[in-house]
Formats: sequence, structure tokens, C-alpha cells
Amino acid sequence: MYMLQAIDVYKRFHKLEVLKGISLQVARGEVIAIIGPSGSGKSTFLRCLNRLETVDKGYIEIQGEVMVQNGPDNQAQYSDEKNIARLRRKMGMVFQDFNLFPHRSVLENLMLAPVLVQNIEKEQAEHNARALLEKVGLAYKADNYPFELSGGQQQRVAIARALAMNPEIMCFDEPTSALDPELTGEVLRVMKNLAEEKMTMIVVTHEIGFAKEVADRVIFMDEGLIVEQGSAQQVLLNPQHERTQAFLGNVLMAR
Amino acid sequence: MEYLSKLIPVMLMGTTLTLKLFFCTLVLALPLGVVFAVARLSRFKILNVFMQIYIWIFRGTPLLLQLFFIYFGLGIVGLQLDRFPAALLAFVLNYSAYLAEIYRSGIQSIDLGQREAADVLGLTRLQTLTQIILPQMFKRVLPPISNEVINLIKDTALVYAIGMSELLRVAKTAAVRDFSFTPFIVAAIFYLLMTAGIQQFFKWLEGKYDYYH
Ligand SMILES: Nc1ncnc2c1ncn2[C@@H]1O[C@H](COP(=O)(O)OP(=O)(O)OP(=O)(O)O)[C@@H](O)[C@H]1O
Ligand SMILES: [Mg+2]
Repeated sequence: MYMLQAIDVYKRFHKLEVLKGISLQVARGEVIAIIGPSGSGKSTFLRCLNRLETVDKGYIEIQGEVMVQNGPDNQAQYSDEKNIARLRRKMGMVFQDFNLFPHRSVLENLMLAPVLVQNIEKEQAEHNARALLEKVGLAYKADNYPFELSGGQQQRVAIARALAMNPEIMCFDEPTSALDPELTGEVLRVMKNLAEEKMTMIVVTHEIGFAKEVADRVIFMDEGLIVEQGSAQQVLLNPQHERTQAFLGNVLMAR
Repeated sequence: MEYLSKLIPVMLMGTTLTLKLFFCTLVLALPLGVVFAVARLSRFKILNVFMQIYIWIFRGTPLLLQLFFIYFGLGIVGLQLDRFPAALLAFVLNYSAYLAEIYRSGIQSIDLGQREAADVLGLTRLQTLTQIILPQMFKRVLPPISNEVINLIKDTALVYAIGMSELLRVAKTAAVRDFSFTPFIVAAIFYLLMTAGIQQFFKWLEGKYDYYH
């Protein structure tokens, strides 16, 4: 059984067809890096996986349970809300611009969802939250507010906040793109630790170095399609498709 | 001096009515405005359109006219309200419409990313509203709300027109009777003291919200 399986996912925004039949199987503990040019649909695909966007057509299952499949009219038909809510809780999401709750302290950011959604006792939630902050190296910031933290620290808090819900899969949408270059390292390190603990991860990233080092599989997307995929070695060092070659050429040139 | 000592107790009586209308309006309109703002932003088209029309009517006509409609107009169709309830109803309906628009812009100013973050964490819409959106909204709308509250204290003078003895009417009566301008000066001072109090209160409130940016 796959941790997550998407088959032939289509998505359009009005006239613009953004996903043109994407399929992806993710095994437990696998780390997947998705790369590709701007506008190729990477974020949209990630957002479809946890229903921040609804797909038009296609099949998505999480741990063998169907979230959406094609109905008799060949259009996407979602499972009922309750079921979807349960499946979505298996997925953590980290956004490019952190999206911490500014009016809540770091600790409260981590405790909010476990208390409200999972009905965990406050003391237990706080205990868990502090352990997670320890893990991302920010225990000493527990009582600070997000605005008092650097971008890198905020993103580590955002990761800890997602982990507080005990997700089975962690999705990252360009987690370091909003950061100054000197702050990306600390965030990537936290992600690398997660990967070593065998967390299943889907990471949309422009960090080729990170993909090379951490990803079990690299996926290159362009114009709403997966153009090429394989081990980091294959895709990044020996790309077969000319669009992959061109993209990697540009990325490396930009450095 | 002696004149003042006789005048001030009477004017304080008028002020009591002014303040009573003021506080009753706030207690009802401040929360009702939130409900209306949320309804105005609702996905349910009918509710949404209904709120738009409501807000249009109550912001698009003079408060004084609304007061006349509710006090005299309802009387004509056999629903005569007493003066105070009529005034309160007009003020609450009117101020809720203005406050709803302020709250709405406050709600809309909160980054969509916050909603999405709450959504992927599994919070319900209601939880997101009460835990994430509204607390941040209140901080942002404090300055425009304080404007409305200051307007309200001055607007209470309108109930003069349906014969209620609020501060300004008491002052006018005394001025005419005693052929003196002093009551108006006293009234001005009373209003200024009340608005100063409101300003201080909001300053304090903004300070309370200053713990985050
Ligand atoms: N909500 C939306 N409404 C309309 N168009 C959208 C929406 N979201 C994305 N798009 C469009 O869909 C296309 C794919 O966007 P997407 O964000 O998935 O690309 P991306 O690969 O993540 O790019 P980037 O590397 O710049 O983040 C773009 O052309 C974008 O403008
Ligand atoms: Mg993107």
C-alpha cells in the first residue's frame, strides 16, 4: 500500500489548464523533491493533495483510503466531508511564507490545533509542543511572538506546528524561498533530520543541493506534466529530457 | 456660580439619558456588527445579498430619518414604541450597519494564508473565525471603531428630535428659559469630557493589543 497515491490529476483555473494528468505514488518514508520552472503547477499539485484546491478530474488516496475519484460523469467526486477531514489530518503542510498565527505565542501556535482539533489536554499538548520546539532548536523561543523571530526561526516553528498534529506525510511548498540565503541552512537541517527519522515528505523546492542530498526521488514538472523522474542522481546529474537539462542549466547558471 | 450649581444637576440628568442610550447602543451594536459582517461575507448568496441591502439602507439614509421612521412610522402601522426603545432600535440598526462594514474590511485584510494554515491544521470554519480571524480583526479595526464611537456620543443628540430630554435638549431648554448662553457652554464641556474619555479608553485598548504586530 502506498502512503499516498495520485492518478491522472487534472486541474484548471478558468481557461488555464494547470495540471494535465499528474500521477504520483509515494511509499512510506520516501522523500520526494518536486522541481520545475515557475508556473509549472508544483504548488497547485501539492495543494490538490490536501484539498486546498479541488481537482477537476483524477484519483487521490491516502494510506489506501480514497479522498477523490472520478464519478460516472468522469468528473472528480470527493468523499464525504468527515472522511476528507480525517484524511487531511494525516498531512502536514508548510508554506513558503510560514503563515504563523501572529497573535499567538510560539507555544500557542503549536498547541492550538492539537487542543481544538484532537481534543488533547492542555498540559499534554504543551508538553508535546515543548518537545517539538526542542527538536527544531527553538525551546527558548516558546513564549515569544512570531514577529520577534527571524524568518528561519519562524519557518522552523511552522514545521513544528505541523508536526504537532502527528502527520503521516509532510508537504513543503518552497519552505526556504522567502528566506535570506544565510537562513535557509537551519530550515533545511530540520527537514533533513525529519527525513532521517523516515518521515514521508513531499518537498517542492528550488534547493537543488537539498534535493540531491536528501531526496529519494526527484520529480521534474513542466507545464502541468511530470516530464522526468528518478533518483536524484539520475534526474539532477544525468537528466534525459532536454527541458530538464535546460531548467537545471538555468538554475545552476543563476548561482 | 449659584446659577451653575442649579444648572449642572439638571444637565447631569440629561447626560444620564445620553450615556444610557450611548452604552445600550454599544452593547448591542458592537457584537451585532460582527454577526452582520460575517453574514455579509457569507457563502450563502441570500444572506449575503440581504446584508448588502440592509447596509445600503442604513448607511444610505440619515439617522434622523430612520429615527422618524421607527418612532412615528411604526406608530402609524400600529407598532408604537416608547421613545427610548424606538431611539435605541434606530441607533442599533444604524450603527450595526456602519460597524459591519468596518469589521468586514478588517476581516478581509487578514491574509488568506492564515485561513489556509488553520484549514490544513484541521480547524473548522467557526474555529478559524473565532480563534484566528476575529482576534486579529479587532486589533486592526480599533482606530475606525473609535471614530464611530465618538460619532455615536455626538449622534445621541438627535433623539432631541423625538422629544427626549438628553443633554443638548436640556441645555437648549435652560438657555431659552434663562436667556443665557451658559448652558450651551456647559453642554460643550460635557461632550468634550465624554469624547476625551472615549479617546483615553481606546488608547488603553490599543496598548493592550500592542503585544504583537
Ligand atoms: N488560484 C488561482 N487562480 C488562478 N490561477 C492560478 C491560481 N493558482 C495558480 N494559478 C496559476 O496556475 C499556474 C501554476 O501555478 P503554481 O503556483 O502551481 O506554479 P508553481 O509551479 O508552484 O510556480 P512557482 O515556482 O512560481 O511557485 C500559474 O500560471 C498560476 O498563475
Ligand atoms: Mg509555487
